[in-house]
Amino acid sequence: MSFAEPIGQVGSGAALELTNVSKLFGALAAISDVSLSVRPGERRAVLGSNGAGKTTLFNCVTGDFLPTTGTIRLFGEDVTAFPAYERIRRGLRRTYQISLLFGGLTVSDNVYLACRGVSRGRFSLLRPRKGDALAAQTEELIDAVRLTPVRDTKVAELSYGQQRQLEIALALAGAPRFILFDEPAAGLSPTERGELVKILTGLPDHIGFIIIEHDMDVALRVAESVTMMHNGRVFKEGKPEEIEEDPEVQELYLGGGHE
Amino acid sequence: MSLAERRVEREPTAIDRIPAPVWALAAILLTMPAYANDFILFQVMGWTFILGTIALSLMFLAGYGGMVSLIQMTVAGLAGYMVALFGNSGIESLSLFLPWYVYIPLAIVIAAIFGTIVGALAVRTEGIYTIMITLAIASAFFYFSRQNYSIFNGYTGFNLVIPPDLFGVDWRQPVAFYYLSGGVALLAYLAVVYVSRSPFGLALQGVRDNPRRMAALGFNVTAHRIAAYTFAAVIAAFGGILLVWQNSQISPGTSGIPAVIDILVIAVVGGIGRPIGPFIGALIYVLLRTFSPDVLTALDLSGERFKTVIGLGFLIIVFWSPDGVLGLWDKWRAARDKAEDPLRRRAK
Amino acid sequence: MQGFAARHPFWALVIIVVAAALIWLVFAPWPDALEDLIGRKKVFLNAVIGGITLGALYFLVAAGFTLIFGLMRNVNLAHGSLYLVGGYLGFEVAEATGLWLLAFPVVFVIVGAFGLLLQNQVFRRMEGEELRQTMVTIGISVVMADLMLWIWGAQSYTLITPEWIAGPATLPIISAVKSNGELVYLKFPAVRVAIFFAALVIGVAMWLVLNRTRLGMLVRAGVDDRDMLQASGVRIQYVFLAVFAFGAGLAGMGGIVGGTFQSLTPGEDTRYLLASLVVVIVGGMGSIPGAAIGALIIGLSEQIGVVYAPTYSVVFTFLIMAVVLAFRPQGLLGARL
Repeated sequence: MSFAEPIGQVGSGAALELTNVSKLFGALAAISDVSLSVRPGERRAVLGSNGAGKTTLFNCVTGDFLPTTGTIRLFGEDVTAFPAYERIRRGLRRTYQISLLFGGLTVSDNVYLACRGVSRGRFSLLRPRKGDALAAQTEELIDAVRLTPVRDTKVAELSYGQQRQLEIALALAGAPRFILFDEPAAGLSPTERGELVKILTGLPDHIGFIIIEHDMDVALRVAESVTMMHNGRVFKEGKPEEIEEDPEVQELYLGGGHE
Repeated sequence: MSLAERRVEREPTAIDRIPAPVWALAAILLTMPAYANDFILFQVMGWTFILGTIALSLMFLAGYGGMVSLIQMTVAGLAGYMVALFGNSGIESLSLFLPWYVYIPLAIVIAAIFGTIVGALAVRTEGIYTIMITLAIASAFFYFSRQNYSIFNGYTGFNLVIPPDLFGVDWRQPVAFYYLSGGVALLAYLAVVYVSRSPFGLALQGVRDNPRRMAALGFNVTAHRIAAYTFAAVIAAFGGILLVWQNSQISPGTSGIPAVIDILVIAVVGGIGRPIGPFIGALIYVLLRTFSPDVLTALDLSGERFKTVIGLGFLIIVFWSPDGVLGLWDKWRAARDKAEDPLRRRAK
Repeated sequence: MQGFAARHPFWALVIIVVAAALIWLVFAPWPDALEDLIGRKKVFLNAVIGGITLGALYFLVAAGFTLIFGLMRNVNLAHGSLYLVGGYLGFEVAEATGLWLLAFPVVFVIVGAFGLLLQNQVFRRMEGEELRQTMVTIGISVVMADLMLWIWGAQSYTLITPEWIAGPATLPIISAVKSNGELVYLKFPAVRVAIFFAALVIGVAMWLVLNRTRLGMLVRAGVDDRDMLQASGVRIQYVFLAVFAFGAGLAGMGGIVGGTFQSLTPGEDTRYLLASLVVVIVGGMGSIPGAAIGALIIGLSEQIGVVYAPTYSVVFTFLIMAVVLAFRPQGLLGARL
């Protein structure tokens, strides 16, 4: 770990800054030459059709895999070569599009693991006691995503909507400073979407995020700026209303349906 | 004193939760020396506790960590060798005759370091590769211990390795050894049960189910896997020390390939889903090994063929129930519950 | 090959230098200083050639193992038992008929048929369940080892080398220079030389079949992408059966070879299983050239180790494996994990 660079005080002051990031799978470029800068606390939506490279972008940012070229800076620090867990410990979080939860463990165990992952004592052999600070934090988070009634249920037995809520709880654990939401509204009912928008807009101001979302309604209600991606490249950037009215965007994305 | 009493008052549920069969088992095990003969105590129960403890360390890695390691018997063997080397044995030119409070911790630490190094290599690969690599390292250790005379004393190994004369008790007396090995096995069992619900144990199960997500939660997946090898090595080391005292000797064959495979067989036959499985497997194995020659001879077959019997039994278990005897038990219970209550949904 | 040199110029250079040094050590007469340092050239040459022939035997056994794993993802930990049973059967055939060569086809057919049975009755039932396959094949090898011990006992057997290749062969390699300037050529048991050439022929033949025939194309396609092959309507089970039988038969013939220039005893089954494991771990799972290189490296390190550092020869093997694992977990020629 490098303490030489005080986090958040170097570089352009961006929370997340991508410079010319490309990712090739063999000869296929999933994303190419993507540059992106998001301020601390900014809420950004990334839009684009399937195969535009949005999830690949997230995977590069979180360190699920290394980009082929380019640099990624998190709060001013170059994290391009860092393993995923080091980025998470610096305040980055993400949710997954497909459910990547621990089906065999209970809701509270899942959330507890998320809290433990970004605190000390990950290797502790001692069981947590009742009054443990992390246990309290766990309860708080479960409550925040309204899962208290099912806290001792195994995750595999939860409904789909509840699993999506749990995904968000895991991303909120610890002290997140920047979160990547990968299609959090996919498959949710209109009521559940309303709940989701409430959770997202209710996040503390200092937490910035990027949200990938097919549901324009959700995306434009929570985001203050929008990046359009197409064929692995950044295609347009701007305010939600500008993007909505851009003729090129309308032709490519909004007018032509979602695919 | 008052503090302890208050704690008992506050959490009476912990003891209440222990089911009656466990009390019965505890009572049987505690009073066994009163009615069982020395052979049962020393040869059957002693072996069960020792092999069960070593297999328990495999169960911890396989069941909670998803890593089937065949190195556990080797770790146990190394601990046994270290006890003979640093402690007392009949090979006076090699043994250092250190006091027990030095050589026992030393043996455990060395075994743990060895287990950690093997783990660090093994976690670079997954699944079936782990089995192959640990098997290859285990055999390298076997051949090395057979060829090396300056530490392992080659083919012959060490003889007359006896436990220290603590508290004026001869620990190789059947009753004393029964309680000693049983006590160690119980402690190892409780440690595994306890750790499985600790932050480390939970994280390990998270790594088993979903390593990618664990990394995205801030966990260093590789470090957790390696640490699991260290923990398992400590448990195996305790088993190995008891093993060398039980035999009163140790040689390369103690952790040879057949012994390595035996530990896998024991853990799988018992069931790697729960910590009690390895002990059930060990009991079955020891009973088969001890009594099948007699049964085979009675059936007019050669008594030496007990390996075939064990191998066939293992095959049947693996074919029928990948979760071992415990899995069969669960199936039977599920079937019984269903039969009792036809309205109940099918248990998943 | 050119691609490799372009991508890794440093490693290409290292490989070339090592190979050149080895060739010089083998073919050039040694200066006295070198002989003083590490002993006579004849000893070294015997170790090297012994290592190469041992590598050839390892290749025979490991090639089947790696092919089976690469194509079907079947982990056959009973592979060593196939080797040993092949050796015992070969001994019986040679003993009964007096024809050493006859043992090869007979054993190939019998052990190959046993392989068919294994694939059809065991592996097909648990396709994709690697762990269960491992356990089941371990169980099978335990039972087989005990049954073989029952039938053939604990004594050691050696197949008698037929007269026509029993003597020494003179190799065109100078082992020493006499004081009168006369060159002394290396002599080496002819049977070992024959084994080396047999392994070479089999290896090249396998390579040709894999790369030049329709069956080989199917097998390679299966290694790369099983689902595609399955979807293309090929009766993949037949390909699987053929490959498994071939790999098993090869291991059985390896038993005859091993029984001729070494010996057959209980425990050899695990030894050759482990050798196969190490060879494919070093060379890379599922790669025939990888198996060849891995077998050569392990054979050489074992023999050179036995000559120059008898106590630690096993450790060399292990160290090679550890280094490969640390830097290239997929093996030297293995595809990425």
